[in-house]
Amino acid sequence: MQLYNSLSKNQQILKQKLTSDDITFLELKIGDLNALLIFVNDLVNKDMLGQLILRPATSIKGNPDSDRLFDVFLNPEKSKVSTIEKTIEDIMMGNALLLIDNFNFALSFGLKHFEKRAITEPPTSTVIKGPREGFVESLPVNISMMRRKLKSPDLIFENLSIGRYSATPIALCYINGIADKKLVKQIKSKLQNIDIDAVLDSSYISKFICEHKFSLFKQVGNTEKPDILAGKILEGRIAIFVDGSPIALTVPYLLIEDFQSASDYYNSSYSATLARYIRIISVTLALFLPALFVSAELFHLQLIPLSFLLTIVNSIKGIPLSPSYEMFFTLLIFEILNEASVRMPKYVGMVVSIVGGLVLGETAVNAGIISAPTLMIVALSGICLYTVPELEQTFSILRILFLLIGGTMGLYAILMSVAFLTVYLVSFENYQTPILAPFSPLIKSDMKDGIYKGFIHELDMRPQSINNLNKRRIKKVK
Amino acid sequence: MTNKYPLNTRQVCFFIIAFLPITKIFSLPSLIANISREDMWLSILISLVLDFITLIPIIIACKNARKGFIELLEDTVGKKISKLILFLYLIYFIFKAIIPINEQKDYVDYTLYTLRPSYAYFLPFFVLAFYICFKRLQVLGRISDILWIVSINGLITLFVLSISNADFSAILPIGASGISKILSGTYNALSWFGDSVFIMFFIGEFKFEKRSTIKILLSFLLGALFVLLFMIIFYSIFTSIAFRQRFALTEISKYTTVISNLGRFDYIGIIMVLFSNVFALCLPMYFCSKIIDHLFNIKKQWISPTISVCIQLIIMLTLSEYFVSVQNFIINYVGVYFIFLANVLPIIISLLSLKEKTYEIEKG
Repeated sequence: MQLYNSLSKNQQILKQKLTSDDITFLELKIGDLNALLIFVNDLVNKDMLGQLILRPATSIKGNPDSDRLFDVFLNPEKSKVSTIEKTIEDIMMGNALLLIDNFNFALSFGLKHFEKRAITEPPTSTVIKGPREGFVESLPVNISMMRRKLKSPDLIFENLSIGRYSATPIALCYINGIADKKLVKQIKSKLQNIDIDAVLDSSYISKFICEHKFSLFKQVGNTEKPDILAGKILEGRIAIFVDGSPIALTVPYLLIEDFQSASDYYNSSYSATLARYIRIISVTLALFLPALFVSAELFHLQLIPLSFLLTIVNSIKGIPLSPSYEMFFTLLIFEILNEASVRMPKYVGMVVSIVGGLVLGETAVNAGIISAPTLMIVALSGICLYTVPELEQTFSILRILFLLIGGTMGLYAILMSVAFLTVYLVSFENYQTPILAPFSPLIKSDMKDGIYKGFIHELDMRPQSINNLNKRRIKKVK
Repeated sequence: MTNKYPLNTRQVCFFIIAFLPITKIFSLPSLIANISREDMWLSILISLVLDFITLIPIIIACKNARKGFIELLEDTVGKKISKLILFLYLIYFIFKAIIPINEQKDYVDYTLYTLRPSYAYFLPFFVLAFYICFKRLQVLGRISDILWIVSINGLITLFVLSISNADFSAILPIGASGISKILSGTYNALSWFGDSVFIMFFIGEFKFEKRSTIKILLSFLLGALFVLLFMIIFYSIFTSIAFRQRFALTEISKYTTVISNLGRFDYIGIIMVLFSNVFALCLPMYFCSKIIDHLFNIKKQWISPTISVCIQLIIMLTLSEYFVSVQNFIINYVGVYFIFLANVLPIIISLLSLKEKTYEIEKG
């Protein structure tokens, strides 16, 4: 609906629509004309409002024309708005809107001001060497952090707004000339088609841009660190920022991404390669150790060395539960403790860890309810899983599944499950990108940053696993 | 990441490296050791040479092919004869899958479980086979990208653990068993060979590059080398009692000193091989379902995998108890047809397709 020439008519409509008490309707005079300034009390910087809007407005004499009026205000973020809907949207976003009698448009001033968290090191990805800054909940701050990293006009931000009630600002970020244009278009169209009440976090968006809605596996990458994100978009990925979330999303996603850590790129290649091997071995142990131990106890005793077998036999003597139940319940208790320690207040959480980990565990073993090897295996499996925290949720579920399969049908069934998983993962694609690349399909050039971490001068090409326009990232030295 | 062809040369090579050696190291070594004894490796060598000879015209056909195998066959011999040939291959793949599947079932029953499990333990294999048959050829290619490394690592682990116990003088003097025993060994091994047929079905499914011929042939030679090495080490360890070691895979490395210290460490290698073998067993079923699709013009993707898997499942459920008799029947009565379909016919088809191509060029 277009704004009217008559201020009283506009005022009447807007007052009907904006009934909340925190919205201020300030009547004033600009020269000989009546005017109305509308803003949300706690979202606008009042000092700036006074300095940049009210003072120039009240200094105008006579009947101002529209062009002169626009130039009088010194606020750099200003625009003309001609519809009621846009007026309301701008007010809700934290802008101050000035409506003047006899003008069929309003002036919108960006004077947003609200408290935000300081830039700190994100708790999900701490590093010993390397940048320690992390994204915050404010979209402009996050964008400025990216701009500081990549000072190129090719770094593009496209703004969108999603959410019927939240109208959450969202920014699509990519590098012109590297990111695949088709992919940008595809993701933009997916984002534009989202019709939801509110976007409270970036994880809401990630569910909508996944191509396999019910898959257990992650299909969208995420990071809280500007340096990691800069690295990812330089490889041809597209990032999505959501206002109110410190986590930026990236697409396309490869499974190997979660085995790569920021510190890999700041440390020596040898230690980075070793760290990656350790992560892979740890995740494998975390996934299969409980299942293999139970299936060995139940079906394949010949697989356990004799001396170890005797230790196990001694420790399970008198345990009332079968090996599968014993492992399952211990794993369940571990998951409960894990959940409780995350949710509980910090200081109580420490108590839970001590009571759960030490008292409960030791007492259970001493009481003969569970055996020491089982407790040890669950603890080891639990620790190993946190070497790749991004995959913790998926692998926790898989670990329980493998345990159930191994505990009921033995080693061959575990082998079959792995085969299923292999077929599933090799055929799994998201945005035409195979999730298991560069291993399947095998992309030789990308293996330099796979399990083996090549030296920086070796990584001369952008990953071929991802569609990108400009393949070379280090100039060839003749 | 989009490609016109579902496979590429590298994946075909990986197919050969991953699947050629592992399907032949379960019960075949003891069976052949019973016939050709210290010359068992010669019997196997002859089979490998036969397959190698078959592979050469197939590769030449691959090089010149602009169409898939079935279309090429139709163009070369006509629609009716091509259907007959495909039907013969359907039967061939059904028979080719019987022994390895039952072999794996027996292997799992006897060596992986302390007590013999019920059939239910093996049934997930058929679900997996259905899942693989349901997928596109591109997925099989991607699987081979992973499996070749699993197979090779598994085999190398077993070789490293077993080689110290081998007495290679056991295979000497070469040819002592006599030519008839060696050839008899080759004849008995036929059901396990004939892998070139799989490559024939890949005609037109991968882009033939500049060095594809040499890459594929070298992959075959590498796979063949692994088979021969396994046979030689196996006989060198067990010599005259080799024929009693029914499942060579489990037996070959169990006397290593590492095992007494660490437990059955060799099971890491065994499980790797077993893992690759699971996929190798699905290949004949995969091709069965593709042929069924074509012969009966089936459009729904799930029907032919269901038929193909159900055939094998029924065979296993009904004949598993009589596996030895079934194996003897296939070896004694189906062997000749195996030579015809796995070696003679592929050569004829490949040469005919070349002739057809020359004719097309002449016609302009």
